[in-house]
Amino acid sequence: MSRTITIDPVTRVEGHGRVTIHLDEQGKVNESYFHIVEFRGFERFIQGHPYWQAPNLVQRLCGICPVSHHLAAAKAIDQIVGIDPENLSPLATKLRKLLHYAQIFQSHALHFFYLASPDLLFGMDAPPEKRNVVAVAAENRELAVQGITMRKFGQELIKALAGKKIHGTLAIPGGVYKTFKKKERDYFLSGDELPNIETMIEWSSAMVEFIKNYHIENRDFLDEFAAFPSGHLGTVKPDGALELYDGLLRAIGPEGTITLPDVDSDDYVQYFSEAVERWSYMKFPYLKNIGRKNGWNRVGPMARLNICDYIPTPLAEKARLEYFEFSGKTVINSTMYSHWARLIETLHCAEIINDLLHDPDILGEDDLVREGRHRQKGIGIIEAPRGTLTHHYEVDDKGMITRCNLIVSTTHNNDAMNEAVKWVANNVISKKEAITEGMLNQVEVAIRAYDPCLSCATQALGKMPLKAELYDHEGNLIQEIIKN
Amino acid sequence: MEKFLLIGVGNSGRADDGLGWLFLDEIKKRYPGIFITEYRYQLQVEDAELISHYDSVLFIDATQEKIPGGCALRPCESSGSFFYSSHLQSPEAIVYLSEELYGRTPVACTLHICGYEWELGEKPEKTALENLERALQLFHDTFFENAGPAIYKQKTEPVTL
Repeated sequence: MSRTITIDPVTRVEGHGRVTIHLDEQGKVNESYFHIVEFRGFERFIQGHPYWQAPNLVQRLCGICPVSHHLAAAKAIDQIVGIDPENLSPLATKLRKLLHYAQIFQSHALHFFYLASPDLLFGMDAPPEKRNVVAVAAENRELAVQGITMRKFGQELIKALAGKKIHGTLAIPGGVYKTFKKKERDYFLSGDELPNIETMIEWSSAMVEFIKNYHIENRDFLDEFAAFPSGHLGTVKPDGALELYDGLLRAIGPEGTITLPDVDSDDYVQYFSEAVERWSYMKFPYLKNIGRKNGWNRVGPMARLNICDYIPTPLAEKARLEYFEFSGKTVINSTMYSHWARLIETLHCAEIINDLLHDPDILGEDDLVREGRHRQKGIGIIEAPRGTLTHHYEVDDKGMITRCNLIVSTTHNNDAMNEAVKWVANNVISKKEAITEGMLNQVEVAIRAYDPCLSCATQALGKMPLKAELYDHEGNLIQEIIKN
Repeated sequence: MEKFLLIGVGNSGRADDGLGWLFLDEIKKRYPGIFITEYRYQLQVEDAELISHYDSVLFIDATQEKIPGGCALRPCESSGSFFYSSHLQSPEAIVYLSEELYGRTPVACTLHICGYEWELGEKPEKTALENLERALQLFHDTFFENAGPAIYKQKTEPVTL
């Protein structure tokens, strides 16, 4: 008799998703899907609102990465008021970058310490009640305190810049609404009330060493687990350096062949299209020149390290070189390297934050906002913690938004996560006499490596009950579970 | 003087789910400058660090539970239970983490206020607002008429009006 295995909800990810694996009568996997069951709505909801509201409204998409949406929207709205990124004042650019890097720093810390570390520390077969941050705290106090403090550092910096840790405001059309005071800056440098930025760099370096050693000890598993070829997408500076705030779009194939050659983000529409599937609310973006089947790209830390030529901060660059040297490859297609890449980026963010905190420009008091000749279209692309994030707005003569298109980082990874689920289904679950909880957890581990933000990816709106239905091989509904 | 923290949990954009935040708004109006307040959509792991700096903590949240009188004050015991998300930790787990990670166990209590509507909407419904008023009265009676947070130490059963 054929069977369907349902994992619902997928745990330790942002938002709600569901996995179904369909087995045939011999227990071999027929099909597997990663369904996103949250409902989308923001692209429509924002229409009819004045353009200047967008950076504040769209950050309500999410409580985890609101800063990324705030800044991507702000970059788009800058263009509507006639300001391209290079024309923003240095003060505004640096403050926005400081906010952006603080966001990535705290988000990466959250993912590693709260979501990923239980699997790494306790193993995938550990009892479910142990695979959580509370158990990490109980058994690894120092690690837990560092993780919490790193997240707090990033969040306090966000609060200092945007007024609130979640859903604050820094960017306004053409600039920023406030500057940074010396007292505010010194809070992050002195270490009197909170471990300072130098400690953040030190802890980040230690975490890179931790994950490197973890790879040394578990090499075979980490190299092979959910490894599959794909394209990789991210943004770089014109000289190929990793760039997270404002760069050129670059994509490569699984072996490193350039598939999107450093194009301006304003031109994204020429290169990307989005497919839909009947079993998910999340879209599937792909490169038009390659097509739907093979044109999808992974995004996020591993992809960014694959596409850039170097990291423009010394400690993170050293770590990047060691990462590739260890792998023996120039392009890494193994899912589990995402964690290592994420921690290298965490270190990079700490280094950038340190540079910006020491930059006297951030204490400037003039030239907060600039304005140019208004336009009717604006596109903002940013590298969010989870990958390339696109905000595209069009407005009418009165400045009311008539069109909004959001390509959220997690949607780029939609195909990748489905491939990862398939890999686990075929290599871990297929044809097994007994399917253990540990095996099913491996499905989640594969998804979790991409740090998906499912609320963002579908622009979730409203309270959506989860409904899981189980059918027998003749199509009869035999079980229904509803989770509010 | 005891350091006393009030944490309101909820979402003011979801009707009665905003009762915890409305409670804090009212406290600030009625007793200006007396209490330290924090607003949260959900409790998160890092809130353990926050509460470790306080002697007493009160978590205020709306509930779907049916409570006689519309609200209840309960002692919040440390517990290592967890939720499957990265967020949405329970008050009990936050107290547990404060104890485990920072060696501090504030006297903690939860104040649950009954709500009925949870869909999009800014204003709680009428009965929920009446429950809010009762919760404010209960808080006043507990804090000003009795021994303040220390009373929680003595209680093992819910306190209602």
